[in-house]
Amino acid sequence: MKNIDSKGHVTGKSIYLDDIPTIQGTLYGVVFGSPVAHGHIDAVDYSKALAMPGVIRIITHKDIPGENQIGGIIPDEPLFATNEVHFQGQPIALIIAESDHLASEARKCIELKISEKEIIVDPRVAQQKGELIQPPRTFALGDTEKAWAKCVHVFQGKADTNGQEHLYIETQGAYAVPMENGNIRISSSTQGPTAVQRTTAWVLGVGMHKIEVDVVRLGGGFGGKEDQATPWAVMAALGAQLLNKPIKVVLNRMDDMRMTGKRHPYSSDYKIGLSEDLKIIAYEATFFQNAGAAADLSPAVMERTLFHATNAYFVPNVQVTAYSCKTNLPPNTAFRGFGGPQGMFVIESALAHAAHELNVPTYVLQKKNLLKNGDEFPYGQIAADVGLQHIWSDMESKFDIQAVEKRIRAFNANHSDQKKGFSLMPVTFGISFTKTPMNQARALVHIYSDGSVGVSTGAVEMGQGVNTKMLQIAAQMFSLDPERVKLESTNTTRVANTSPSAASATSDLNGKALQKACNALLERLKQSAADHFGVSPGDIELKNEQVYSQGKATSMSWNQLVDMAFLQRICLTENGHYATPIINFDKTKEKGHPFAYHVHGLALTEVSIDCIRGVYEFDAVKIVHDFGKTMNPSVDIGQIEGGLVQGIGWMTMEELNYDNQGRLRSNSLSAYKIPDIYSVPKEVLIEALETDGNDMAILKSKAVGEPPLMYGIGAYFAIENAIRAFNPSFISTFDAPFTHEKVLLALYNHYGILENSKTGIRSSLSGNADVRIAQ
Amino acid sequence: MNNKSSNEEKKAVSRRSFLKGAGVTTASTVAMSAGLLSFKAPETAPKRPPVLGPGDTEVRLEVNGQQESVWVEPRTTLAEALRDHLHLTGTKVVCDRGSCSACTVWLNDKPVCSCMTLAVDAEGSKVTTVEGLADGDTLHPVQEAFIEYDAAMCGYCTPGMVMSCAGLLKRNANPNLDDVKAATSGNLCRCGTYPKVFEATLAAAKKM
Ligand code: FES
Ligand code: FES
Repeated sequence: MKNIDSKGHVTGKSIYLDDIPTIQGTLYGVVFGSPVAHGHIDAVDYSKALAMPGVIRIITHKDIPGENQIGGIIPDEPLFATNEVHFQGQPIALIIAESDHLASEARKCIELKISEKEIIVDPRVAQQKGELIQPPRTFALGDTEKAWAKCVHVFQGKADTNGQEHLYIETQGAYAVPMENGNIRISSSTQGPTAVQRTTAWVLGVGMHKIEVDVVRLGGGFGGKEDQATPWAVMAALGAQLLNKPIKVVLNRMDDMRMTGKRHPYSSDYKIGLSEDLKIIAYEATFFQNAGAAADLSPAVMERTLFHATNAYFVPNVQVTAYSCKTNLPPNTAFRGFGGPQGMFVIESALAHAAHELNVPTYVLQKKNLLKNGDEFPYGQIAADVGLQHIWSDMESKFDIQAVEKRIRAFNANHSDQKKGFSLMPVTFGISFTKTPMNQARALVHIYSDGSVGVSTGAVEMGQGVNTKMLQIAAQMFSLDPERVKLESTNTTRVANTSPSAASATSDLNGKALQKACNALLERLKQSAADHFGVSPGDIELKNEQVYSQGKATSMSWNQLVDMAFLQRICLTENGHYATPIINFDKTKEKGHPFAYHVHGLALTEVSIDCIRGVYEFDAVKIVHDFGKTMNPSVDIGQIEGGLVQGIGWMTMEELNYDNQGRLRSNSLSAYKIPDIYSVPKEVLIEALETDGNDMAILKSKAVGEPPLMYGIGAYFAIENAIRAFNPSFISTFDAPFTHEKVLLALYNHYGILENSKTGIRSSLSGNADVRIAQ
Repeated sequence: MNNKSSNEEKKAVSRRSFLKGAGVTTASTVAMSAGLLSFKAPETAPKRPPVLGPGDTEVRLEVNGQQESVWVEPRTTLAEALRDHLHLTGTKVVCDRGSCSACTVWLNDKPVCSCMTLAVDAEGSKVTTVEGLADGDTLHPVQEAFIEYDAAMCGYCTPGMVMSCAGLLKRNANPNLDDVKAATSGNLCRCGTYPKVFEATLAAAKKM
């Protein structure tokens, strides 16, 4: 089934937040954020700004009737700064004016006196100073201390990944409208309507029942609107409450980039030990997560780094520790992969390091250590339904790894200024929210008396095609023409207490809740038909809007059945509730069964480097992916292509640049490059693993939102491989992204002051933002 | 972003009469300086364009085949005029800096970034937005193909993408992959629909 929104998208008729027709009297809010990254506010003078024509009011922390608090996991983040500011762009006030132009003009007239304080941007520095968001956590399996003695080869080093701007094409925004009796209706571009509702209620000092949040669709989220859509919605609602006027707050691109958090930069240390026959015996890693100035979702992101620290490999002795380090950057947040990619990059670096020193191709080590059914993850879950061996052999038979290697070697032998390289990137990604209580969802289904159907779920459509999948489920279950089913907006008054659309689990959770609701309705309808035809409900079937009894078509249509049921006063509305079974996790032991299932896959990436200029192009990415039984191949393949491109962007061209004053230098689309049409691989081939699928997945169709992003990690190692063909003395720095500039320097060993030893590969550049090579 | 309320519309009308008065003053200023100039170089007296602003000024456009008139400040971009004044919200503003092409419309049949075009500079021009691309209920082949190939995910970049691709087919009925890439090289899509955009555009070309 095609994306149900496509027609609206291509004709410009789809409505996004900023397209909602405004109500007369609507006022516009612009956020005034801190110009410094850390300091004490001595004085603020709003008088000039307030005197400007068209400026209605400036709202600060003093105007908040409830709690000045928006922290979801840890209450450590005010909506508006009070005395202290902790990052550049931290909201201090909301200027409300008759237009956003006027509000922006007024913003320039605010006078602020701040005593600056010490600024920390490096997570390792923060950790040394004891600036942590929460105590560190460690996952362990076996005993690494003892295991080192058994290792024949031991390598250690450092691996860093930079952050990533979400760059959802639609910026953050919300529109709050005051209703009667102090109620407020908020339209928000959020992945988490309930988070907006809960936080707004808290700040406004009212019950959640007073706040309605409605989401039609998002112009992209990628995690950036899971938690960080909330403040703007709360501000708009606060303005609406105080002024009794509709208030719209839509960030412009530069404000959005400056004020919101990103994917977390990580700096990490690893130590890996192998046996004579190249089996990984032990692995240790320490992750320093750059959390930014407040917790936001950092503790959960950090947890997923630990969950995925060993990626697709079985390691019998593991000890991995993560620190969530408090720095003076905007609070970093969820981004597709949610800490998993950062953890995986480190073990892939460790393997690349070992392979280079041992002079074997990295893929030999990767293949030898793949996870098998029955293996234990460091967090206690036993691997089941793995298929990685199968995936690897599919890759070999369909895309012939050796032939690719041979072809590349031959090319490199014949070209001196151009080199090719390749890499393999296996991925194992756990599906479920790692916080068990979040794995629940509800769906509300109405069958109207004319036989048409309305469906509401807690899922937010942000381009991942979840609404299409939901509609597909309802239409299939009722055997109805999809035109007769409508997907309603996501609204907290219809489906309450929702989890955000995140963790790749949205279709599974909401789809299963929807199935339950449809099943309950079908049961009642079939009973009614069975009574009518004097048969048992098991004899009744519904096919193409016709009622079948004992395998034969009857004269009764779906419409007639619905009508009959309605006249019999049978309830034609149902609310389905689903909670993922089995899963659990005990944080005191750091053990359990946190994931409903895992998604696996393997990517083969081929790259060409121009060794004169350092520029590169991806010739091909070939993927074998475990979809389970995909319920919508077109949507799912789109997710793979999109995730892959985003992952490649993170690893190659997207260079987030904060200076040592905590100022974002890459603060616009001209300073921060995301993949354009020339950056996508020339060829993307996707093969589906033959499998029976997993019952925990909706219609056995496995989650597909996040896992493909991590195929992009292969881009980094393919580039390394090509560089080495040109410059055999190249020393890995494991410092993503591998920008064109960095590649050029690496080709000629000019990349920073490098030190290499058997026990360490280090780059003087990493972790020190202001000496990063400027774009 | 900033939708004009009817209140503001009224203001705009009153500014119009103000502008008429101001126009007289401006004209006399021009005449005076022309007089000074004529003293030195009588034959080459330049005719300066009338000064616009700071208030609203009238801009007449043919938008999707309809004659429209909007009253906007001279700094108003074409994108703002379309979205905020004509309520044609299909055109999206993403970077407002000419870096993403999300705001692509056709100005006299050529794709332009409407965030980088002042509404006053479009005076008298023919503007086609994504809303005006279809012929009544018959979608443009590019629109059809985008649906057929699922070339939209979140859809926010899509109007700009569609206008760039349809613009290409207008000037080149038989493009190859490189032509498609060149035509959409400025269009950023964060969902990564690029491979499907290629397929869809090439397929649309075949159908045209
Ligand atoms: S919004 Fe016009 S180019 Fe980006
Ligand atoms: S479809 Fe989402 S940005 Fe292109």
